[in-house]
Amino acid sequence: MSKKKKLLLIAFVVLILVFLNLFQKDVRGFFYKISSPFQRIFWKTGDSISDFFKALVFVKDLKQENKELKTENQKLLSQLIKLKSLEKENETLRQALNLGLEKDFKLIQAQIISKDISQDIILINKGSEQGIEENMPVITSQKALCGKVSEVYNKFSKVVLISNKKSSFDGKVLTESKEISALVSGRGGLNVYLELIPQEEEIKQEDLIISCCLGGVYPDNLLIGKISKIKKGDTEPFQEAEISPFCVIKEIEELFIISEVFKPTE
Amino acid sequence: MSFRTIFFLIFLCYFSVLFQTSLLFHFSIWGHTINFILLLVILLNLFEPPEQKYGILTAFIGGFFLDIFSNGIIGFWILALLVLSFFIKLVLRKYVKIPTPKKII
Repeated sequence: MSKKKKLLLIAFVVLILVFLNLFQKDVRGFFYKISSPFQRIFWKTGDSISDFFKALVFVKDLKQENKELKTENQKLLSQLIKLKSLEKENETLRQALNLGLEKDFKLIQAQIISKDISQDIILINKGSEQGIEENMPVITSQKALCGKVSEVYNKFSKVVLISNKKSSFDGKVLTESKEISALVSGRGGLNVYLELIPQEEEIKQEDLIISCCLGGVYPDNLLIGKISKIKKGDTEPFQEAEISPFCVIKEIEELFIISEVFKPTE
Repeated sequence: MSFRTIFFLIFLCYFSVLFQTSLLFHFSIWGHTINFILLLVILLNLFEPPEQKYGILTAFIGGFFLDIFSNGIIGFWILALLVLSFFIKLVLRKYVKIPTPKKII
């Protein structure tokens, strides 16, 4: 191929790429639309196969986990009974003081189609046509926080997970005695960390972390995860901890997008 | 270069990317999976006869599909894989000789 032809070919390729980037939303939207049936099948198949192998490999752990969950369930049931009586008392007081209802969410259900090749971003099958907007929080059915909507197409949306390197927001650690504010920060590879915890604060493994609406990123009191490892250095100004998130993308198919947070009526 | 081969490469790259992003993710390690397109580009460029350009074509097609299903600008993976292909071809032409089959595709 002559030099002139090579240069022309390079210029042509560059022009195509510029054109594709100018209309990247439409181009990507088109490919997501034609690929989503295949990706749904692949995602479900992958989920089933990995569950099958997990059951085989971790059968001993599953038995132990089952035993622990049954014990925890019984403890929670007894706590639930106590809370129900408190709830009744609370409702009576609210009516007496003429206060409004608790906050609730308006949710849009969506399914996961695929995960980005290199970043902690997933693609879901709902978009602007279903009322999805950028920055809407995304949670599981157990109200565990997964991330927020970053890009919206007609029928699809991208969700930046809380483990994404660009994700950071305020959170609270629920210890036995108090709540400690800290920064929840994603480190990629589905890893989430808790940073900027003052050295003098006592945190321990299994402490719960919930979201905090201070930074205006996410609503209050969404479950984030539990502390799995603590890193405390004498020379560091702050301690940090690794979080075991409740939202495990590999194990879920469906998510919920919070389209509206209902404020209490006064 | 035959049209049949080009269509086969498009089909192979497209479904490799779908497979990688949807099914293989469930078997990922720390959120990362094998990049089939990268493997395919390396192998094709290493083992195809010097006069064939399927490795470079695969780099372009595979890179395009990787860009579509990732979050960056369209062109990042295309450029990265093309550079890799040309680098492998350059090294093979000047410094290394690998016995290649007469016809790879």
